Amino acid sequence: MPCELKEKERMGVINPIFTCQPAGAQYVSIGIKDCIAIVHGGQGCVMFVRLWFSQHFKESFEIASSSLHEDSAVFGGTHRVEQAVDILLMRYPDVKVVPIITTCSTEIIGDDVDGAVAKLNNGLLKEKYAGREVHLIPIHTPSFQGSHVTGYDVAAEAIIKHFAKSGMIPKLNVFTGWQNPGDTHVLKHLLAAMEVPANLIFDNEEFDAPLMPEGNYVAHGSTTIEDLANTGSATATIVLNRYEGGKAAAYLQSKFHIPAVIGPSPIGIRNTDVFLQNVKKITGKAIPKSLVKERGIAIDAITDVAHMFLADKRVAIYGNPDLVIGLAEFCLDLGMKPVLLLLGDENSNYPKDPRIQELQNNVDYDMEIIMNADLWELGDRLQNQGLKLDLILGHSKGRFIAMDYHIPLVRVGFPIYDRAGYYHYATVGYEGARVLAERMANVWFNDMEYTKNKEWLLGMW
Amino acid sequence: MRQIAIYGKGGIGKSTTTQNLNAGLAQMGKHIMIVGCDPKADSCRLILGGLAQQTVLDTLREEGDDIDLEKIMKSGYGDIRCVESGGPEPGVGCAGRGIITSINLLEQLGAYTDDLDYVFYDVLGDVVCGGFAMPIREGKAKEIYIVCSGEMMALYAANNICKGISKYAETGGVRLGGLICNSRKVEGEADLVEAVAKELGTQMIYFVPRDIEVQQAEIHRKTVIEHDSNSKQAEEYRTLAKRIDGNDMFVVPKPMKQERLETILMEHGLME
Repeated sequence: MPCELKEKERMGVINPIFTCQPAGAQYVSIGIKDCIAIVHGGQGCVMFVRLWFSQHFKESFEIASSSLHEDSAVFGGTHRVEQAVDILLMRYPDVKVVPIITTCSTEIIGDDVDGAVAKLNNGLLKEKYAGREVHLIPIHTPSFQGSHVTGYDVAAEAIIKHFAKSGMIPKLNVFTGWQNPGDTHVLKHLLAAMEVPANLIFDNEEFDAPLMPEGNYVAHGSTTIEDLANTGSATATIVLNRYEGGKAAAYLQSKFHIPAVIGPSPIGIRNTDVFLQNVKKITGKAIPKSLVKERGIAIDAITDVAHMFLADKRVAIYGNPDLVIGLAEFCLDLGMKPVLLLLGDENSNYPKDPRIQELQNNVDYDMEIIMNADLWELGDRLQNQGLKLDLILGHSKGRFIAMDYHIPLVRVGFPIYDRAGYYHYATVGYEGARVLAERMANVWFNDMEYTKNKEWLLGMW
Repeated sequence: MRQIAIYGKGGIGKSTTTQNLNAGLAQMGKHIMIVGCDPKADSCRLILGGLAQQTVLDTLREEGDDIDLEKIMKSGYGDIRCVESGGPEPGVGCAGRGIITSINLLEQLGAYTDDLDYVFYDVLGDVVCGGFAMPIREGKAKEIYIVCSGEMMALYAANNICKGISKYAETGGVRLGGLICNSRKVEGEADLVEAVAKELGTQMIYFVPRDIEVQQAEIHRKTVIEHDSNSKQAEEYRTLAKRIDGNDMFVVPKPMKQERLETILMEHGLME
């Protein structure tokens, strides 16, 4: 079989692609309005994740820490959660949603966060904050399980479980998965063009926060408690990213009998077409002329660069699984050759993923898909195994490999901190397809110039 | 579904008592699952007739989390379903986390079916860390029975366990259902255990007399009820089963200060 799915054989990780579960849970928390999460663990579990987010978004925002110390590791730390909730509620009178996110240390010592929440609900919230709407939601994300991707999934499920109610206005649930504000903007645009009342979970468009005359602005998400409750009354759920919201959709299906459509991540023309067709099937709404035109504009732009420049280019792609698979599918549609896909975690569902199986059945050249991968898998192949690449697609953590081996890196994914403003731009929808194709072409053009590789062509194009 | 956790000092006879009690409940037609929460993984030996059982954690270690429930759950006497959590080798790793991991996994795999009347957690010795309290967290066991005897250390342990229970009772719904006295034939044993129970605010739900037959049945890898259902000791366990099935006294225990416990022991002539 030319397309091989395998696990990294080497022990340890060099230059990781992924981070850990609490990071994913924290990403969910920043999509919710009036929400500040408390991470129950050492301070680094918040500090590094906040750095990671703020490097990408260049925004200021808030996540709290219970700041576990040695004494709590020995004697238990739930009292610090109790204290943290009290302080948070005192300092932020508008906060209503407080996810309490566990970490390695607090899961290992077996801190009973659910018990602490029950105690707070019956004690502090009734006594000191009577009449105030406060939701404390335990989220179990030990870092030694899964990755930030599963952390996102677990957190989305916990949040939806807490809020979802039946009997509200039926809308279409759209679970976006791990997206940029630019993606959320495009998704809203597509659904608005089809006149579909949609409930985007989690809506982080506002996380691209303005600098206003009256001063700086603390970024936050826009998904409200009502939006979250509404998910239980939906006509259907579309989960764009199977591994980032799939659990929550499955819960809504079993508890409220809301049918779930899994995927596709609307990356590229083909996947966006399927997404819109799914929306049409569910809602009965027609796909308007305006979107047909938008599609045409994207295809026009793609045609300009695809066969002349992008065709047959050999690419490696790394990052979140839904993103990597979506990008690989798009590259194939452009006539490119994704030869190496790196997934940063191991998930027993990957071998069963229909998209991976489709790649295995249809790819007619050698392609490797590596689970639990790190960037050394990429560097080692380039340095020692004769891997030839034209482009790398992935987040900023791959910049040193790109620099060392002189392979142009097309920034896509999370985090991107070494280029300005990428969070404004979409990778989803027709617009995303256009942006991506042009971005790949422009990065390639740069490389042509610097390596004097038929750079004259660019003057004739 | 009643979920019950059994605690008590190491070696006091928790597993033996739990299995005999469960055999009694099974004879009453109850559907039961036993979850052994002890790294030694010997909580179901009598129910399964000595059958070596693959533990949840061994399976997890060898095969990853893509596990079939049948692989780790075996049915034994009276169709009692048995699961052993297992754990690391002595001296390494974290057995407490092991219990959390395996109970989470059992939930994921759908082991807690609606037809179950009882789930029993047979938990190692003391509540030494947060992991060993997993069975009594929110949404798990609501009832606890402590197996003890009239010996001083057993009652010390019982009092200590009550400290743990009162902490979890504060945050969740767990309550103490009573002390089960597994007799060691100590002088004035029943009176002493009753007195301690009363001081803790609970009851001695049953006094299980000591009988050589328990050991004989164990050698045959059977519960007394399976080994000789008509014996006097089998009847004792059946009565214990009935008491627990009909129990309606659930309290938040009031653990004693050490001095108070010692005073009670002295009153009953234990400390000379």
